[in-house]
Amino acid sequence: MFELFVAMLKEEWRVHSTMFGSLSFALFPVMIFGIAFMGAFLIPLMRTTLPAGNLTLIIHANYLMLGIMVGGFGLLGNEVMSRRFGQASFLSYSARSLPLSDRFIFTNFVIKDTVYYFFLWVFPFGFGYILASPFTGVSLARALLLLLTLTLSFLFGLCGVFFLSTVYARSRTVLWLVLLALGTGWGGFAAMTGMNPALFFPPMLLNSAFSWTNLLVSCAVLVILFAVAIVLFNPESVGSEKNYKDAFAPLMNRFSFLPHPPLAAKDTIDLYRSGSMIGQTIFSFLLPLAVIWFFLSLLGPFFPPHGLLFIFAITTGVVASTMYTWVTMFDSFGPYACLPVAVSTLITSKLTTFAVLQVIPAAFIAVVALLSGEAAYLVPAVVLGCSVSFYAVGVMAWLCGLSPNVLVYDVKVLFVYLVLVGIVLMVFTTAAFANPYYALSAVILVIPTWLLVQKAKTRWDAVDPAGF
Amino acid sequence: MTTVIEARDVSKSYGDVQAVNHVNLSVEKGALFGLLGPNGSGKTTMIKMLTGQTRPTGGTATVLGIDAEKDPVGVRGRVGIIPEQETPPSFLTAQEYLEFVAAVRKIPDIQKKADWWFEFLDFADKKNVLCKDLSRGTRQKLMFTQAFIHEPELALIDEPLINFDPIMQDLVKDYLAAYVKKGKTIFISTHILEVAEEICSGFAILHKGNLLHTGPVAELTARGEHLPSYFLSLVRKDRHV
Repeated sequence: MFELFVAMLKEEWRVHSTMFGSLSFALFPVMIFGIAFMGAFLIPLMRTTLPAGNLTLIIHANYLMLGIMVGGFGLLGNEVMSRRFGQASFLSYSARSLPLSDRFIFTNFVIKDTVYYFFLWVFPFGFGYILASPFTGVSLARALLLLLTLTLSFLFGLCGVFFLSTVYARSRTVLWLVLLALGTGWGGFAAMTGMNPALFFPPMLLNSAFSWTNLLVSCAVLVILFAVAIVLFNPESVGSEKNYKDAFAPLMNRFSFLPHPPLAAKDTIDLYRSGSMIGQTIFSFLLPLAVIWFFLSLLGPFFPPHGLLFIFAITTGVVASTMYTWVTMFDSFGPYACLPVAVSTLITSKLTTFAVLQVIPAAFIAVVALLSGEAAYLVPAVVLGCSVSFYAVGVMAWLCGLSPNVLVYDVKVLFVYLVLVGIVLMVFTTAAFANPYYALSAVILVIPTWLLVQKAKTRWDAVDPAGF
Repeated sequence: MTTVIEARDVSKSYGDVQAVNHVNLSVEKGALFGLLGPNGSGKTTMIKMLTGQTRPTGGTATVLGIDAEKDPVGVRGRVGIIPEQETPPSFLTAQEYLEFVAAVRKIPDIQKKADWWFEFLDFADKKNVLCKDLSRGTRQKLMFTQAFIHEPELALIDEPLINFDPIMQDLVKDYLAAYVKKGKTIFISTHILEVAEEICSGFAILHKGNLLHTGPVAELTARGEHLPSYFLSLVRKDRHV
């Protein structure tokens, strides 16, 4: 067990470090540490406008989200399992030639992911907060407790996602029933008691009042989720042979108005058959945004009038920009290397598919505007959200070309991305807070977006296509 | 004779590793030219440079009169390529992949041609199966098909026989021999020396990125030598050097 686990850890490190260089990747947790350390000094300022409980809730929500995102690969079902296990010579695949069961390998894989991403993301953040605690008036015990509860939040996200992904791989109907039951239970509890169910999230309970019982309850829930995921894990269905009717030709005809119909048709088929269209929309878009909406709504009183809608529109825009990773995740340049296709053509095609997918966030923001009684600001909110999304994807395409899923862990890339997107977010948040209709000015982002996309094409055509 | 491939002083290095070292090579139209070498000798890198998949760090590679570095898409538009690893897109079926290739290459009336290839390489029963679920041999058949379906004037193929059974290898060898008789050119990278001797008209031997020899197979045969033994003696000698 331990040998395979250590080898998998080394492999994960080498995969990342060979892509960006050991130093560049090693600096990633250092940057997270730096952000947490410096951010901790803002806490006394934030406390003057925001109750400490709400702040704690938001940080825990972020770590829950982080766990969901790290574990999210499994939610695409068998296809991603197959991609993850089947097409590259990773240990999780090659170890099958050894006398080890698939469940055993999967268990090692899950534990490896937990440990690896804990040290990559969770620990540097908690450690930054702990080191800053003497300067911010927070006791060391409180800082250590926060590290513990943040770790548990992260694990809840991770194990929850593994659990849901294995349910999904077994039966989509059962997954829908589980989600429906969770949603009904959540809503019902809130309606009947008038209390915020998030406060009963085990790590939150532990954070507000540490007790060994609460710690045991948290750990027990995690163990149950993890154990059920392992039991439900079904390696047998990976790689099964299915027959499909020809969907390419009809789709290509339907997309004849787009710049590259064959590439758009292929992308659409990739999204649909891989399960990404539904799986990613639910778990990488709607679910995170529902969680974000819930936690943002707690901050409503601290925003200017109508501010919540625009903050949410901007957040949706940023999350929507990650749809570019959906359309690039199943493609390396490999399948195109024997065809007369330039990298810039592929970038254009992926961005076209991305643009079509923007119907989803636009509709989502519109629904939120209507449901929250802010129909008057529907148009500015949609314009703001979509403009931010297109701008952020322009930055992503320029920085990462066709490999945003991989290059995001390059600390230089992430830093430039955060700066370029962060500045725009600040400017347009301020504008929308000053007057909701100023949000319409975000259309001006079309200019930098266009420039970034042109630069992306030139830049990525000039280098050898990446093999990942 | 018309030269279809001209490599002048071509080099490629990856950091400290010199994959190809100042190679000069030319291939005439109508040749079935074999690029031979042990594993890691630079064969695949050479094919990648000739097809614009990777840029040389020195020298120039011209294919069908096109500079492969300056216009890689132009080169790939005119030639057929079988890459070292069979990589058809995971979520398209074999039939859809050929339609995709045809659409990108703007080949009309693809269905008739596709059906001919499905029958010829005996994988019609797999045409509606996703590429990711195909066996390696069937994927290789599909990649072979996509390289020749537009009947290119030049095909650059990297280890095309490696996943085929003996019957399929025989069929493909015959196809390649017949293809060059039509005035087309094939540049094949392989380390199956017996096959190279059997079907190639010219050859080059690469070892550790260096070109050890290039010339016609007939020249060897006239000297009473066989390609496998000549190759082995040359490579072994170079190892000692």
